Amino acid sequence: MTVMLAVVRRIGFYVAIGFATAFFAIPLLWLLSAPFDDPPTYAVRLPRHFSVENFAEIARNRYAVPALVNSLLLAIGTMAVVVAAAALAAYALSRVRVPGRDALLYVLLLLSSVVTGTAAMVPIFLLMFQLNLIDSRFGVVLVLSGGLLPAAIFLLKDFIDTIPRSYEESARVFGASPLQILRHIVVPVARPGLATIAVWTIVQVWGSFLTPFILLRDQGKQPAAVLVRTFYTEGGSPNLGLLAAFSLLYSIPVVVMYLLAWSRYGFRFHGGIKS
Amino acid sequence: MAGIALTRLTKEFPGDVRALDALDLSIVDGEFFALLGPSGCGKTTLLRTIAGLESPTSGHVRIGQRDVTALPPGARDVAMVFQDYALFPHMTVVENIAYPLRIRREPRPARTARATSVGEQLGLHGLMARRPAELSGGQQQRVALARAVACKPSVFLFDEPLSNLDARLRLEARTFLKRLQREVGVTTVFVTHDQAEALALADRIAVMEAGQIRQLGTPREVFGRPANTFVANFIGSTPMNLLPGVASASAVAVAGFPVVPRREGLDGPVTVGIRPEYVSVSREPVDGALPGTVSIVEHLGTSSLVTVEVDGLLVGATVPEEAEPAPGTPVWLAPSPNRVLVYDADGTLVG
Repeated sequence: MTVMLAVVRRIGFYVAIGFATAFFAIPLLWLLSAPFDDPPTYAVRLPRHFSVENFAEIARNRYAVPALVNSLLLAIGTMAVVVAAAALAAYALSRVRVPGRDALLYVLLLLSSVVTGTAAMVPIFLLMFQLNLIDSRFGVVLVLSGGLLPAAIFLLKDFIDTIPRSYEESARVFGASPLQILRHIVVPVARPGLATIAVWTIVQVWGSFLTPFILLRDQGKQPAAVLVRTFYTEGGSPNLGLLAAFSLLYSIPVVVMYLLAWSRYGFRFHGGIKS
Repeated sequence: MAGIALTRLTKEFPGDVRALDALDLSIVDGEFFALLGPSGCGKTTLLRTIAGLESPTSGHVRIGQRDVTALPPGARDVAMVFQDYALFPHMTVVENIAYPLRIRREPRPARTARATSVGEQLGLHGLMARRPAELSGGQQQRVALARAVACKPSVFLFDEPLSNLDARLRLEARTFLKRLQREVGVTTVFVTHDQAEALALADRIAVMEAGQIRQLGTPREVFGRPANTFVANFIGSTPMNLLPGVASASAVAVAGFPVVPRREGLDGPVTVGIRPEYVSVSREPVDGALPGTVSIVEHLGTSSLVTVEVDGLLVGATVPEEAEPAPGTPVWLAPSPNRVLVYDADGTLVG
């Protein structure tokens, strides 16, 4: 009797998981099939008329490819700022005794969700306006970096905490300067942590919409996440062909990066991944 | 080559912790010197202060002819081997050994050649291209030693060099370490909490407690005549018997039985110390011996530790294997008279 019950329970469990998986799989399947259909619909099905016409249309659209390049520029720029600043800050916070260090970190982490959050958009816009950084990719990089830095410092500090101090002390006894210790010992040993932060930053920036949407007026400077919003036909309905093909192109770099990082370091993303 | 001289060395940590308390010590050139003590006694702080990783609150450190108190670790011409060896995980064995030379900007071929020759001298042949994670504990230790030897310092500092090895390997590594030190002839200071290690390796031992040196001497002196009850208790693989006694005009007595003749100027309560190895156990009454009853027998391999109850006191004695009396047997304990130590009420050795 109990065996029967266990079997039924197990069946129920897998059926529930099956439904949940299908629920998440359907949009992804649509993303894989719709770009190759002509004309695409909302239905998830194998393409009726296989074509690459939608991709040709992207090539003809004068904003589509530059938008992907813009996304890349913003992502790499922000990544460089975040990794460099977070590495130095995390190293210092991990190694130097600062009174109230942990409280500082938690407050930073708490505030960071506000800084890039919707609530702070008006002050940030005014700040950037005063700094004359409206409609500048550099300005967007700064704002995004500011938002991501606290979490990056927090994650990286935890990572650097696990590196034994004896490595650095040993190098110090041999006469290495602080900069040599950083270059020869700390950075190479912390490389998996730095890579995690780099990939995490790129994924965050790749998916961010609100900040570049508000700070960039010129359509030629807008990243892919912002551009997608403008893909409508003359009739005012969404241009599904263009949308589907562009979304597919847009998602490929993130997937590739995830696979690369995973095969190289074998780490898992600790939350915060956006599609 | 250089000796080390410490004068009035004091180290205070935040929160009024005195790790070193006005400590004076001089270590002779070429000596193998042990800092021995229980955890928290300040021995590691002392080693790190000599290395320059901690700066003293007051006092001076001299290495050779130089006062190095204000110098950074790299300028002191010392090499340190850490308890966890601190091998850089991303470098190969050769790169690890050559790292001090890389810091000194020696050309790559020269430093690789030196690292290889030192590594082979220390039995690391064929392991040069590996990374530390691919080595056993003993091999890792040799890499750490090779790295210290390769930079030809005037002083070696070892922090618990053997404590990360398993028990069997530890004996082997101990012999290796002693031979290496003899060959290189460099002044070596090492920290340990294991009295057997200190006795086996060192030319001289400083036994530390609470930031102060409680006794300084050769292993024979420290083992044979501990200067106070703290050292007596700490040194020896079987704990020394420290028995309450009374000194009177005629003799020093334990449990009412005189064990040693009268000591000049000694009167009142004392502590009598005698190692279990120096107590002979007899099943027949012996003149002047303490009568008691065997309560516990512990096997130690070639001998057994017999705990005997004498008038409410527990006294340990070792007997050769297969000569153990059964628990409950009445026995007589005779300490060898010239091995009995007498400590006064403050715990200082008086005779």
